[in-house]
Amino acid sequence: MTREEIVSIINKVFEDSFEIEPERLIPDANIFLDLGLDSLDTVDLVVAIQKKFGVQVRDDERVRGIRTLGDVYQFIELIYNEKKE
Amino acid sequence: MKRVVITGMGAVTPLGGSVSETIQALDDGRQAVRRSAELEACKGLRSWLAAPAELKNEKLIPRQNRRSMSRMSIFAAQAAHEAALQAGYDARQFEAGRVGCVAGSTTPSPITIHAIYETFIPTRDFGLIQAMQFFQSMSHTVAMNLAQYLGLQGRFLSTNAACASGLQAIGTAYELIRAGSQDAIFCGGAEEYHSTVTGVFDMLLAASTKYNDSPDQASRPFDAARDGLVCGEGAGILFLEEREHALARGATIYGEILGFDTCSGGTHISESNRECIAQCMRQALLNAGCSAADIGYVNAHATATLQGDGEEAAALHAVLGDAVPVSSLKGHLGHTLGASGPIEMISTIEGLRKGRIYPTRNLTCVAEECKGIRHVTKIESSNVTCFIKNSFAFGGINASLVCRV
Repeated sequence: MTREEIVSIINKVFEDSFEIEPERLIPDANIFLDLGLDSLDTVDLVVAIQKKFGVQVRDDERVRGIRTLGDVYQFIELIYNEKKE
Repeated sequence: MKRVVITGMGAVTPLGGSVSETIQALDDGRQAVRRSAELEACKGLRSWLAAPAELKNEKLIPRQNRRSMSRMSIFAAQAAHEAALQAGYDARQFEAGRVGCVAGSTTPSPITIHAIYETFIPTRDFGLIQAMQFFQSMSHTVAMNLAQYLGLQGRFLSTNAACASGLQAIGTAYELIRAGSQDAIFCGGAEEYHSTVTGVFDMLLAASTKYNDSPDQASRPFDAARDGLVCGEGAGILFLEEREHALARGATIYGEILGFDTCSGGTHISESNRECIAQCMRQALLNAGCSAADIGYVNAHATATLQGDGEEAAALHAVLGDAVPVSSLKGHLGHTLGASGPIEMISTIEGLRKGRIYPTRNLTCVAEECKGIRHVTKIESSNVTCFIKNSFAFGGINASLVCRV
């Protein structure tokens, strides 16, 4: 999966599940401060990631470090590559 | 004891997205029952009818509030918004913790519960269940979403007694304000339609099965050709307020709640019982300080089931005699279950304020067991002010409320 494909899938999750306008979906956007998510939204973000990418990330400590949309892209890329290996 | 008045009303019903749309439909004699392809596709289901409400403009509710709402809570929030607007509700005019929320539904969201188990059973994977689905499948989902949406910090209760849920909520709110525990309460009921809801009634031989090809004729309370109820959905929310508080802030008063009673029949798990219904109405009248002679109209629960309508008619005859006008709005609306009490109460208040009593639609030949009361079969002009609203539920639960417009 390319970076572009990952970005596209994640952005679609933010549009559909969290109703964020596409123009606000920039890598530097803080998902809490800029995009308005809270702790309950992150639970559903994890569920969406698990469904879309077929991975188990609920217990992954790295999820707690996610702050920006770019962090989400990077995390998925890492997870996806680890899964491939 | 304090006096309790109604200063705001809101509704989303199978006949419209507001009180005024619903009243216009009742004025026009329209009805809401439709044949449902979803039901036709279910094996073993003989009733293919439903009275759906339209879900629209839901994105006007902020996502932070809406994310934990299923269809029924959205209907409730929209109805509450309408009630708040009519009441001129401004939280700053009320003391903190003195505005409460009492609401209920028959079940939590059947749509969400279905979705959860559809995901979970084949996978046994909790990792696929969304956080918000849990909030939609709790027994108090309607009341808690309503309280969050309105930012209420007062007394909170969820009434969940099936088809009596909504009227129990209004009655409970009345008792709390009457006792001085709260200054105002948003109260009522909501429901959302799903095939399992009709499935339950069909299984228990209480759903209409003979009118799948003529849906407009299906819901016919008190009629000799009735064969069961048709499930609907929607919400009705009232803003009840302590009378002096309402007068002090110059609010318009649309009605006053005079008395209430709810009881368990204790005789049968599903069948209504005429003595228990009569006892409930008598106690509500006693609590209201009214006599039978004060009552000018009864808005019946009558859902068009074979057993229930006859028991209610017999109870009405025993308590009020044969001269008081009686009708059920389920011929127009279908049975909106936990929402039916508030929706039908609001419709009655609006009708009486315009000097009219709405009839029982589809009542063309009164069943022998439903005789002995004065049935309203066409819109009647009326100067009635005092009425009884009944709601009953599985479990032998009865609720009667006395109201004056």
